[in-house]
Amino acid sequence: MILAARSVAPAEPAPTPPAPVVETLPPVLKFEKVGFAYDGRTIMRDVSFSVAPGELVCLLGPSGCGKTTILNMVAGFLRPTEGAAIVDGREIVGPGPDRGVVFQAAALFDWMTVAENIAFSQRCAGVRKAKRREVAREMAALVGLTGFEDAYPYQLSGGMRQRVGLARVLASKPKVMLMDEPFSALDVQTRETLQEEVLRIRDRTGCTILFVTHAIDEAVFLGDRIFLLNDLKTGAFDAFDVALPAPRCSPENRLHPSFLRLRETIYRRMRH
Amino acid sequence: MTADERRARLRYLVVATLSPLAILGVWWLVAARGLASPIVLPPPSAIWASFVDMAANGYSGVSLWTHVGASLARVSVAFLGGAALGVALGLLRGRSRMIDAVLLAPSELLRPIPPLGLIPLFILWFGIGETSKVLLIFLSVLLIMMVNAQAGVRATSLDSLRAAESMGANRWQVFRFVVLPSALPQVMTGLRVAMGTALTILVASELLGGDRGLGFLILDASSFFRTTYVFAGVAVIGLIGLATDRALAWAGRNIVHWEGRR
Repeated sequence: MILAARSVAPAEPAPTPPAPVVETLPPVLKFEKVGFAYDGRTIMRDVSFSVAPGELVCLLGPSGCGKTTILNMVAGFLRPTEGAAIVDGREIVGPGPDRGVVFQAAALFDWMTVAENIAFSQRCAGVRKAKRREVAREMAALVGLTGFEDAYPYQLSGGMRQRVGLARVLASKPKVMLMDEPFSALDVQTRETLQEEVLRIRDRTGCTILFVTHAIDEAVFLGDRIFLLNDLKTGAFDAFDVALPAPRCSPENRLHPSFLRLRETIYRRMRH
Repeated sequence: MTADERRARLRYLVVATLSPLAILGVWWLVAARGLASPIVLPPPSAIWASFVDMAANGYSGVSLWTHVGASLARVSVAFLGGAALGVALGLLRGRSRMIDAVLLAPSELLRPIPPLGLIPLFILWFGIGETSKVLLIFLSVLLIMMVNAQAGVRATSLDSLRAAESMGANRWQVFRFVVLPSALPQVMTGLRVAMGTALTILVASELLGGDRGLGFLILDASSFFRTTYVFAGVAVIGLIGLATDRALAWAGRNIVHWEGRR
Protein backbone atom coordinates (compact mmCIF):
# COMPACT_ATOMS: atom_id res chain seq x y z
CA MET A 1 0.00 0.00 0.00
CA ILE A 2 1.24 3.44 -0.90
CA LEU A 3 1.25 5.57 2.19
CA ALA A 4 2.90 8.79 1.21
CA ALA A 5 2.19 11.27 -1.50
CA ARG A 6 3.69 10.61 -4.90
CA SER A 7 5.58 13.66 -5.95
CA VAL A 8 4.99 14.60 -9.56
CA ALA A 9 7.72 16.58 -11.24
CA PRO A 10 6.71 20.05 -12.42
CA ALA A 11 5.82 20.20 -16.09
CA GLU A 12 8.89 22.26 -16.84
CA PRO A 13 12.03 23.40 -14.96
CA ALA A 14 11.08 25.96 -12.36
CA PRO A 15 11.88 29.58 -13.28
CA THR A 16 12.37 30.40 -9.60
CA PRO A 17 12.59 27.44 -7.23
CA PRO A 18 10.33 27.47 -4.16
CA ALA A 19 11.91 28.90 -1.03
CA PRO A 20 14.29 26.23 0.26
CA VAL A 21 14.16 27.33 3.94
CA VAL A 22 10.65 26.02 4.15
CA GLU A 23 11.83 22.48 3.57
CA THR A 24 14.27 22.42 6.47
CA LEU A 25 11.94 23.59 9.26
CA PRO A 26 9.97 21.00 11.24
CA PRO A 27 6.42 20.67 9.88
CA VAL A 28 3.72 22.76 11.52
CA LEU A 29 1.04 20.31 10.40
CA LYS A 30 1.36 16.57 10.04
CA PHE A 31 -1.01 13.72 9.20
CA GLU A 32 0.22 10.26 10.19
CA LYS A 33 -1.69 7.42 8.56
CA VAL A 34 -4.96 9.18 9.19
CA GLY A 35 -8.14 7.26 8.52
CA PHE A 36 -11.69 8.41 8.83
CA ALA A 37 -14.87 6.38 8.75
CA TYR A 38 -18.38 7.58 9.24
CA ASP A 39 -21.33 5.26 9.89
CA GLY A 40 -19.08 2.33 9.04
CA ARG A 41 -18.24 3.87 5.67
CA THR A 42 -14.56 4.53 4.99
CA ILE A 43 -13.97 8.07 3.76
CA MET A 44 -10.18 7.85 3.84
CA ARG A 45 -7.39 5.69 5.17
CA ASP A 46 -3.63 5.86 5.53
CA VAL A 47 -3.39 9.51 4.59
CA SER A 48 0.00 10.99 5.44
CA PHE A 49 1.51 14.35 4.63
CA SER A 50 3.20 17.27 6.30
CA VAL A 51 3.08 21.00 5.80
CA ALA A 52 6.02 23.30 6.53
CA PRO A 53 5.63 26.64 8.32
CA GLY A 54 4.62 29.42 5.95
CA GLU A 55 3.59 27.00 3.25
CA LEU A 56 0.34 27.35 1.33
CA VAL A 57 -1.02 23.92 0.45
CA CYS A 58 -4.10 23.54 -1.70
CA LEU A 59 -6.31 20.48 -1.30
CA LEU A 60 -7.83 20.00 -4.71
CA GLY A 61 -10.41 17.46 -5.74
CA PRO A 62 -13.94 16.76 -6.86
CA SER A 63 -16.73 17.12 -4.33
CA GLY A 64 -16.98 14.16 -2.01
CA CYS A 65 -13.27 13.31 -2.26
CA GLY A 66 -12.67 14.05 1.42
CA LYS A 67 -10.83 17.36 1.18
CA THR A 68 -13.21 19.12 3.54
CA THR A 69 -12.99 16.15 5.91
CA ILE A 70 -9.23 16.71 6.12
CA LEU A 71 -9.79 20.39 6.84
CA ASN A 72 -12.40 19.57 9.50
CA MET A 73 -9.94 17.22 11.18
CA VAL A 74 -7.26 19.90 11.28
CA ALA A 75 -9.84 22.35 12.64
CA GLY A 76 -10.72 19.80 15.33
CA PHE A 77 -14.39 19.54 14.28
CA LEU A 78 -13.83 15.86 13.45
CA ARG A 79 -11.49 13.35 15.08
CA PRO A 80 -9.57 10.86 12.92
CA THR A 81 -10.78 7.32 13.52
CA GLU A 82 -7.25 6.03 12.83
CA GLY A 83 -3.80 7.59 12.95
CA ALA A 84 -3.01 11.06 14.20
CA ALA A 85 -3.46 14.65 13.06
CA ILE A 86 -0.70 16.77 14.60
CA VAL A 87 -0.26 20.53 14.78
CA ASP A 88 2.95 21.97 16.16
CA GLY A 89 3.95 18.59 17.59
CA ARG A 90 0.70 18.07 19.49
CA GLU A 91 -2.17 15.84 18.50
CA ILE A 92 -5.33 17.75 17.64
CA VAL A 93 -8.11 17.05 20.13
CA GLY A 94 -10.58 19.84 19.37
CA PRO A 95 -11.09 23.28 17.86
CA GLY A 96 -8.77 26.07 18.97
CA PRO A 97 -7.64 29.57 18.05
CA ASP A 98 -4.30 28.25 16.75
CA ARG A 99 -6.25 26.90 13.76
CA GLY A 100 -8.63 29.51 12.38
CA VAL A 101 -11.22 28.62 9.77
CA VAL A 102 -12.53 30.76 6.91
CA PHE A 103 -15.86 29.23 5.93
CA GLN A 104 -17.42 28.94 2.50
CA ALA A 105 -20.42 31.06 3.57
CA ALA A 106 -18.31 33.34 5.82
CA ALA A 107 -20.35 32.33 8.91
CA LEU A 108 -20.02 35.80 10.38
CA PHE A 109 -21.98 36.81 13.48
CA ASP A 110 -24.71 39.02 12.02
CA TRP A 111 -25.48 40.54 15.42
CA MET A 112 -21.96 41.94 15.79
CA THR A 113 -20.28 44.78 13.95
CA VAL A 114 -17.31 44.12 11.69
CA ALA A 115 -14.96 45.19 14.48
CA GLU A 116 -16.66 42.89 17.01
CA ASN A 117 -16.51 40.01 14.54
CA ILE A 118 -12.82 40.58 13.90
CA ALA A 119 -11.90 40.83 17.58
CA PHE A 120 -14.08 37.89 18.65
CA SER A 121 -11.17 35.64 19.61
CA GLN A 122 -9.76 38.50 21.72
CA ARG A 123 -13.10 38.91 23.44
CA CYS A 124 -13.14 35.20 24.28
CA ALA A 125 -9.61 35.49 25.63
CA GLY A 126 -10.67 38.34 27.92
CA VAL A 127 -8.78 41.13 26.14
CA ARG A 128 -9.98 44.60 27.14
CA LYS A 129 -12.26 46.60 24.88
CA ALA A 130 -9.83 49.37 23.90
CA LYS A 131 -7.22 46.80 22.94
CA ARG A 132 -9.79 44.80 20.96
CA ARG A 133 -10.76 47.92 19.07
CA GLU A 134 -7.11 48.45 18.20
CA VAL A 135 -6.69 44.86 16.95
CA ALA A 136 -9.87 45.19 14.88
CA ARG A 137 -8.60 48.39 13.28
CA GLU A 138 -5.24 46.83 12.50
CA MET A 139 -6.76 43.67 10.99
CA ALA A 140 -9.38 45.63 9.05
CA ALA A 141 -6.52 47.61 7.50
CA LEU A 142 -4.67 44.38 6.66
CA VAL A 143 -7.61 43.01 4.65
CA GLY A 144 -8.70 46.34 3.16
CA LEU A 145 -11.76 47.01 5.34
CA THR A 146 -10.72 50.32 6.85
CA GLY A 147 -13.77 52.50 7.42
CA PHE A 148 -16.17 49.56 7.71
CA GLU A 149 -15.41 48.68 11.35
CA ASP A 150 -18.83 49.77 12.59
CA ALA A 151 -20.87 48.25 9.75
CA TYR A 152 -22.89 45.07 10.25
CA PRO A 153 -22.12 42.03 8.06
CA TYR A 154 -25.48 42.24 6.27
CA GLN A 155 -24.49 45.67 5.00
CA LEU A 156 -21.46 44.25 3.18
CA SER A 157 -21.00 42.56 -0.18
CA GLY A 158 -20.04 38.88 -0.41
CA GLY A 159 -16.41 39.69 -1.05
CA MET A 160 -16.21 42.07 1.89
CA ARG A 161 -17.84 39.50 4.15
CA GLN A 162 -15.08 37.05 3.27
CA ARG A 163 -12.52 39.77 4.05
CA VAL A 164 -14.07 39.97 7.52
CA GLY A 165 -13.83 36.18 7.73
CA LEU A 166 -10.12 36.42 6.90
CA ALA A 167 -9.49 39.27 9.32
CA ARG A 168 -11.19 37.54 12.24
CA VAL A 169 -9.02 34.46 11.75
CA LEU A 170 -5.83 36.49 11.35
CA ALA A 171 -6.64 38.41 14.54
CA SER A 172 -5.96 35.33 16.65
CA LYS A 173 -2.57 34.85 14.94
CA PRO A 174 -3.19 31.19 14.10
CA LYS A 175 -0.43 28.70 13.35
CA VAL A 176 -2.50 27.37 10.48
CA MET A 177 -5.23 29.15 8.61
CA LEU A 178 -7.86 26.79 7.15
CA MET A 179 -9.84 27.97 4.16
CA ASP A 180 -12.82 25.90 3.03
CA GLU A 181 -13.69 26.93 -0.55
CA PRO A 182 -13.99 30.47 0.74
CA PHE A 183 -14.35 32.18 -2.63
CA SER A 184 -16.48 29.65 -4.50
CA ALA A 185 -19.67 31.68 -4.11
CA LEU A 186 -18.14 34.93 -5.36
CA ASP A 187 -18.02 36.38 -8.85
CA VAL A 188 -14.84 35.85 -10.88
CA GLN A 189 -13.42 39.36 -10.44
CA THR A 190 -13.95 39.39 -6.68
CA ARG A 191 -12.58 35.88 -6.39
CA GLU A 192 -9.36 36.76 -8.23
CA THR A 193 -8.89 39.94 -6.20
CA LEU A 194 -9.28 37.98 -2.98
CA GLN A 195 -6.90 35.25 -4.18
CA GLU A 196 -4.25 37.94 -4.71
CA GLU A 197 -5.14 39.35 -1.30
CA VAL A 198 -4.56 35.97 0.35
CA LEU A 199 -1.09 35.73 -1.16
CA ARG A 200 -0.28 39.28 -0.09
CA ILE A 201 -1.46 38.57 3.45
CA ARG A 202 0.52 35.33 3.51
CA ASP A 203 3.67 37.24 2.49
CA ARG A 204 3.07 39.83 5.18
CA THR A 205 2.15 37.48 8.05
CA GLY A 206 4.04 34.29 7.16
CA CYS A 207 0.90 32.35 8.01
CA THR A 208 0.64 28.68 7.04
CA ILE A 209 -2.46 28.05 4.95
CA LEU A 210 -4.44 24.94 4.06
CA PHE A 211 -6.77 25.89 1.24
CA VAL A 212 -9.57 23.60 0.07
CA THR A 213 -10.84 24.17 -3.45
CA HIS A 214 -12.32 22.35 -6.40
CA ALA A 215 -11.05 24.94 -8.90
CA ILE A 216 -7.78 23.99 -10.60
CA ASP A 217 -6.96 27.61 -11.51
CA GLU A 218 -7.36 28.69 -7.92
CA ALA A 219 -5.13 25.89 -6.63
CA VAL A 220 -2.35 26.60 -9.15
CA PHE A 221 -2.45 30.35 -8.59
CA LEU A 222 -2.40 30.11 -4.79
CA GLY A 223 -0.53 26.97 -3.85
CA ASP A 224 3.12 26.31 -3.08
CA ARG A 225 2.03 22.71 -3.30
CA ILE A 226 -1.15 21.10 -4.53
CA PHE A 227 -2.49 17.79 -3.24
CA LEU A 228 -4.76 16.30 -5.86
CA LEU A 229 -7.18 14.13 -3.91
CA ASN A 230 -8.99 11.87 -6.32
CA ASP A 231 -9.73 9.00 -4.01
CA LEU A 232 -8.49 8.92 -0.43
CA LYS A 233 -9.67 5.40 0.31
CA THR A 234 -6.24 4.09 -0.66
CA GLY A 235 -4.31 6.91 0.98
CA ALA A 236 -2.55 7.74 -2.28
CA PHE A 237 -2.72 11.16 -3.84
CA ASP A 238 -0.63 13.24 -6.22
CA ALA A 239 1.37 16.20 -4.94
CA PHE A 240 2.46 18.95 -7.29
CA ASP A 241 5.05 21.62 -6.60
CA VAL A 242 4.05 24.94 -8.04
CA ALA A 243 6.85 26.97 -9.58
CA LEU A 244 5.74 30.48 -10.37
CA PRO A 245 7.79 33.68 -10.18
CA ALA A 246 7.62 36.02 -7.21
CA PRO A 247 5.74 38.07 -6.30
CA ARG A 248 3.21 35.27 -6.28
CA CYS A 249 0.32 37.70 -5.94
CA SER A 250 0.97 39.17 -9.39
CA PRO A 251 -2.06 38.57 -11.64
CA GLU A 252 0.41 38.08 -14.51
CA ASN A 253 1.12 34.63 -13.08
CA ARG A 254 -2.27 33.51 -14.36
CA LEU A 255 -0.83 33.72 -17.88
CA HIS A 256 2.60 32.28 -17.08
CA PRO A 257 3.56 29.19 -19.15
CA SER A 258 4.18 27.19 -15.94
CA PHE A 259 0.73 28.08 -14.72
CA LEU A 260 -0.89 26.96 -17.95
CA ARG A 261 1.14 23.80 -18.16
CA LEU A 262 0.53 22.71 -14.57
CA ARG A 263 -3.14 23.45 -15.00
CA GLU A 264 -3.22 21.12 -17.97
CA THR A 265 -1.27 18.39 -16.16
CA ILE A 266 -3.66 18.48 -13.22
CA TYR A 267 -6.71 18.66 -15.46
CA ARG A 268 -5.64 15.46 -17.18
CA ARG A 269 -5.07 13.69 -13.87
CA MET A 270 -8.17 14.88 -12.09
CA ARG A 271 -11.05 12.47 -11.85
CA HIS A 272 -14.07 13.99 -13.53
CA MET B 1 -34.69 55.43 3.50
CA THR B 2 -35.25 56.19 -0.16
CA ALA B 3 -38.24 58.16 -1.48
CA ASP B 4 -39.74 54.93 -2.81
CA GLU B 5 -39.43 53.18 0.53
CA ARG B 6 -40.98 56.19 2.27
CA ARG B 7 -43.90 56.16 -0.13
CA ALA B 8 -44.38 52.40 0.37
CA ARG B 9 -44.35 52.87 4.12
CA LEU B 10 -46.86 55.70 3.96
CA ARG B 11 -49.15 53.57 1.79
CA TYR B 12 -48.87 50.75 4.34
CA LEU B 13 -49.83 53.07 7.20
CA VAL B 14 -52.80 54.47 5.26
CA VAL B 15 -54.15 51.00 4.40
CA ALA B 16 -53.52 49.70 7.94
CA THR B 17 -55.57 52.63 9.29
CA LEU B 18 -58.31 52.53 6.68
CA SER B 19 -59.03 48.81 7.04
CA PRO B 20 -60.40 48.98 10.63
CA LEU B 21 -62.23 52.20 9.77
CA ALA B 22 -63.91 50.40 6.87
CA ILE B 23 -65.01 47.57 9.16
CA LEU B 24 -66.37 50.16 11.57
CA GLY B 25 -68.23 51.80 8.69
CA VAL B 26 -69.87 48.56 7.56
CA TRP B 27 -70.77 47.80 11.16
CA TRP B 28 -72.32 51.25 11.59
CA LEU B 29 -74.29 50.80 8.35
CA VAL B 30 -75.64 47.39 9.38
CA ALA B 31 -76.68 48.74 12.81
CA ALA B 32 -78.12 52.02 11.44
CA ARG B 33 -80.30 50.23 8.88
CA GLY B 34 -81.71 48.00 11.61
CA LEU B 35 -80.38 44.81 10.00
CA ALA B 36 -79.43 43.45 13.43
CA SER B 37 -81.08 43.85 16.80
CA PRO B 38 -79.18 46.30 19.08
CA ILE B 39 -78.91 43.56 21.72
CA VAL B 40 -77.01 41.36 19.29
CA LEU B 41 -75.04 44.05 17.45
CA PRO B 42 -75.29 47.52 18.95
CA PRO B 43 -74.16 50.45 16.79
CA PRO B 44 -70.61 51.75 17.39
CA SER B 45 -72.01 55.00 18.77
CA ALA B 46 -73.85 53.17 21.59
CA ILE B 47 -70.67 51.30 22.47
CA TRP B 48 -68.75 54.56 22.56
CA ALA B 49 -71.43 56.00 24.85
CA SER B 50 -71.06 53.03 27.21
CA PHE B 51 -67.32 53.44 27.18
CA VAL B 52 -67.64 57.13 28.03
CA ASP B 53 -70.09 56.23 30.79
CA MET B 54 -67.67 53.67 32.26
CA ALA B 55 -64.75 56.03 31.96
CA ALA B 56 -66.69 58.68 33.87
CA ASN B 57 -68.68 56.61 36.37
CA GLY B 58 -66.90 53.27 36.50
CA TYR B 59 -68.48 49.84 36.31
CA SER B 60 -70.16 48.04 39.22
CA GLY B 61 -68.90 50.64 41.65
CA VAL B 62 -65.28 50.47 40.54
CA SER B 63 -63.58 52.90 38.15
CA LEU B 64 -62.78 51.62 34.64
CA TRP B 65 -59.10 52.33 35.23
CA THR B 66 -59.11 50.10 38.30
CA HIS B 67 -60.50 47.29 36.13
CA VAL B 68 -57.88 47.95 33.46
CA GLY B 69 -55.15 48.22 36.09
CA ALA B 70 -56.15 44.95 37.79
CA SER B 71 -56.08 43.09 34.46
CA LEU B 72 -52.81 44.67 33.33
CA ALA B 73 -51.19 43.83 36.65
CA ARG B 74 -52.19 40.15 36.33
CA VAL B 75 -51.06 39.95 32.71
CA SER B 76 -47.76 41.76 33.34
CA VAL B 77 -46.71 39.67 36.30
CA ALA B 78 -47.70 36.41 34.60
CA PHE B 79 -46.20 37.43 31.25
CA LEU B 80 -42.85 38.59 32.63
CA GLY B 81 -42.52 35.60 34.94
CA GLY B 82 -43.70 33.07 32.38
CA ALA B 83 -41.52 34.51 29.63
CA ALA B 84 -38.41 34.61 31.82
CA LEU B 85 -38.78 31.04 33.06
CA GLY B 86 -40.04 29.73 29.71
CA VAL B 87 -37.13 31.23 27.77
CA ALA B 88 -34.64 29.96 30.34
CA LEU B 89 -36.04 26.41 30.23
CA GLY B 90 -36.31 26.48 26.43
CA LEU B 91 -32.69 27.58 26.06
CA LEU B 92 -31.56 24.89 28.47
CA ARG B 93 -33.58 22.26 26.62
CA GLY B 94 -32.05 23.41 23.37
CA ARG B 95 -28.52 23.14 24.75
CA SER B 96 -28.72 20.03 26.89
CA ARG B 97 -30.14 16.72 25.70
CA MET B 98 -30.59 15.54 29.28
CA ILE B 99 -32.63 18.56 30.37
CA ASP B 100 -34.70 18.14 27.21
CA ALA B 101 -35.32 14.50 28.10
CA VAL B 102 -36.47 15.48 31.60
CA LEU B 103 -38.89 18.18 30.40
CA LEU B 104 -40.16 16.65 27.17
CA ALA B 105 -43.04 14.51 28.41
CA PRO B 106 -44.29 16.82 31.20
CA SER B 107 -44.40 19.90 29.01
CA GLU B 108 -45.86 18.19 25.97
CA LEU B 109 -48.56 16.55 28.11
CA LEU B 110 -49.42 19.92 29.59
CA ARG B 111 -49.40 21.93 26.38
CA PRO B 112 -52.53 20.59 24.64
CA ILE B 113 -54.70 21.02 27.76
CA PRO B 114 -56.91 24.09 27.29
CA PRO B 115 -56.46 26.54 30.17
CA LEU B 116 -60.21 26.49 30.75
CA GLY B 117 -59.91 22.80 31.55
CA LEU B 118 -57.39 23.62 34.27
CA ILE B 119 -59.61 26.14 36.03
CA PRO B 120 -61.39 23.64 38.32
CA LEU B 121 -58.02 22.17 39.38
CA PHE B 122 -56.52 25.58 39.97
CA ILE B 123 -59.48 26.59 42.11
CA LEU B 124 -58.96 23.42 44.12
CA TRP B 125 -55.23 23.97 44.51
CA PHE B 126 -54.86 27.74 44.73
CA GLY B 127 -58.34 29.03 45.53
CA ILE B 128 -60.19 31.71 43.59
CA GLY B 129 -57.84 34.59 44.44
CA GLU B 130 -55.09 36.26 42.46
CA THR B 131 -52.77 33.24 42.57
CA SER B 132 -54.99 31.08 40.37
CA LYS B 133 -55.55 33.85 37.82
CA VAL B 134 -51.87 34.75 37.51
CA LEU B 135 -50.71 31.13 37.45
CA LEU B 136 -53.11 30.24 34.64
CA ILE B 137 -51.69 32.97 32.40
CA PHE B 138 -48.15 32.29 33.61
CA LEU B 139 -48.38 28.64 32.62
CA SER B 140 -49.62 29.36 29.11
CA VAL B 141 -46.91 31.98 28.50
CA LEU B 142 -44.24 29.65 29.91
CA LEU B 143 -45.17 26.79 27.58
CA ILE B 144 -45.27 29.00 24.50
CA MET B 145 -41.94 30.64 25.31
CA MET B 146 -40.26 27.33 26.09
CA VAL B 147 -41.15 25.92 22.67
CA ASN B 148 -40.02 29.09 20.89
CA ALA B 149 -36.74 29.45 22.75
CA GLN B 150 -35.85 25.82 22.14
CA ALA B 151 -36.66 26.13 18.43
CA GLY B 152 -34.56 29.31 18.39
CA VAL B 153 -31.55 27.47 19.79
CA ARG B 154 -31.94 24.86 17.05
CA ALA B 155 -31.79 27.66 14.47
CA THR B 156 -28.12 28.28 15.37
CA SER B 157 -26.04 27.44 12.32
CA LEU B 158 -23.41 24.74 12.65
CA ASP B 159 -20.83 26.94 10.95
CA SER B 160 -21.30 29.80 13.42
CA LEU B 161 -20.93 27.37 16.34
CA ARG B 162 -17.77 25.95 14.78
CA ALA B 163 -16.46 29.42 14.01
CA ALA B 164 -16.89 30.44 17.65
CA GLU B 165 -15.23 27.27 18.97
CA SER B 166 -12.30 27.61 16.59
CA MET B 167 -11.81 31.18 17.84
CA GLY B 168 -11.41 29.91 21.38
CA ALA B 169 -14.90 30.41 22.79
CA ASN B 170 -15.70 28.26 25.81
CA ARG B 171 -19.15 26.71 26.38
CA TRP B 172 -20.54 29.78 28.11
CA GLN B 173 -19.12 32.16 25.49
CA VAL B 174 -20.56 30.04 22.67
CA PHE B 175 -23.93 30.27 24.41
CA ARG B 176 -23.74 33.97 25.21
CA PHE B 177 -22.30 35.24 21.93
CA VAL B 178 -23.70 32.77 19.36
CA VAL B 179 -26.59 30.61 20.59
CA LEU B 180 -28.48 33.37 22.41
CA PRO B 181 -28.40 35.88 19.53
CA SER B 182 -29.30 33.10 17.08
CA ALA B 183 -32.36 32.23 19.19
CA LEU B 184 -33.48 35.85 19.63
CA PRO B 185 -35.58 36.23 16.45
CA GLN B 186 -37.70 33.25 17.39
CA VAL B 187 -37.93 34.42 21.02
CA MET B 188 -39.18 37.84 19.92
CA THR B 189 -41.84 36.25 17.70
CA GLY B 190 -42.76 33.94 20.57
CA LEU B 191 -43.27 36.95 22.87
CA ARG B 192 -45.87 38.37 20.49
CA VAL B 193 -47.74 35.07 20.29
CA ALA B 194 -47.55 34.64 24.06
CA MET B 195 -48.85 38.15 24.71
CA GLY B 196 -51.88 37.49 22.53
CA THR B 197 -52.54 34.24 24.33
CA ALA B 198 -52.02 35.88 27.72
CA LEU B 199 -54.76 38.40 26.99
CA THR B 200 -57.09 35.62 25.80
CA ILE B 201 -56.55 33.66 28.97
CA LEU B 202 -56.95 36.78 31.06
CA VAL B 203 -60.68 36.80 30.36
CA ALA B 204 -60.91 33.08 31.12
CA SER B 205 -58.91 33.46 34.33
CA GLU B 206 -61.24 36.20 35.55
CA LEU B 207 -64.02 33.62 35.31
CA LEU B 208 -62.50 32.40 38.54
CA GLY B 209 -64.37 35.07 40.42
CA GLY B 210 -63.43 38.42 41.89
CA ASP B 211 -64.94 41.78 41.18
CA ARG B 212 -62.15 43.52 39.27
CA GLY B 213 -60.68 43.25 35.84
CA LEU B 214 -61.73 43.57 32.22
CA GLY B 215 -62.63 39.89 32.03
CA PHE B 216 -64.91 40.27 35.05
CA LEU B 217 -66.44 43.36 33.45
CA ILE B 218 -67.18 41.55 30.19
CA LEU B 219 -68.61 38.46 31.85
CA ASP B 220 -70.68 40.49 34.28
CA ALA B 221 -72.08 42.73 31.55
CA SER B 222 -72.92 39.79 29.34
CA SER B 223 -74.87 38.03 32.08
CA PHE B 224 -77.03 41.15 32.36
CA PHE B 225 -77.34 41.53 28.55
CA ARG B 226 -75.58 44.89 28.67
CA THR B 227 -74.18 44.20 25.23
CA THR B 228 -72.76 47.68 24.68
CA TYR B 229 -70.65 47.28 27.83
CA VAL B 230 -69.49 43.84 26.68
CA PHE B 231 -68.36 45.36 23.40
CA ALA B 232 -66.67 48.29 25.14
CA GLY B 233 -64.77 45.92 27.41
CA VAL B 234 -63.78 43.71 24.49
CA ALA B 235 -62.61 46.79 22.59
CA VAL B 236 -60.39 47.88 25.49
CA ILE B 237 -58.76 44.43 25.64
CA GLY B 238 -58.36 44.50 21.86
CA LEU B 239 -56.68 47.90 21.99
CA ILE B 240 -54.35 46.74 24.76
CA GLY B 241 -53.48 43.73 22.57
CA LEU B 242 -52.85 45.92 19.54
CA ALA B 243 -50.66 48.33 21.51
CA THR B 244 -48.57 45.61 23.18
CA ASP B 245 -48.16 43.72 19.90
CA ARG B 246 -46.97 46.84 18.09
CA ALA B 247 -44.61 47.63 20.96
CA LEU B 248 -43.17 44.10 20.96
CA ALA B 249 -42.85 44.09 17.16
CA TRP B 250 -41.06 47.44 17.29
CA ALA B 251 -38.74 46.21 20.04
CA GLY B 252 -38.10 43.04 18.04
CA ARG B 253 -37.14 44.95 14.90
CA ASN B 254 -34.66 47.02 16.89
CA ILE B 255 -33.19 44.24 19.00
CA VAL B 256 -33.02 41.67 16.18
CA HIS B 257 -31.93 44.21 13.58
CA TRP B 258 -30.16 41.59 11.45
CA GLU B 259 -33.18 39.35 10.90
CA GLY B 260 -34.11 38.82 7.25
CA ARG B 261 -31.20 40.99 6.08
CA ARG B 262 -28.59 38.34 5.48
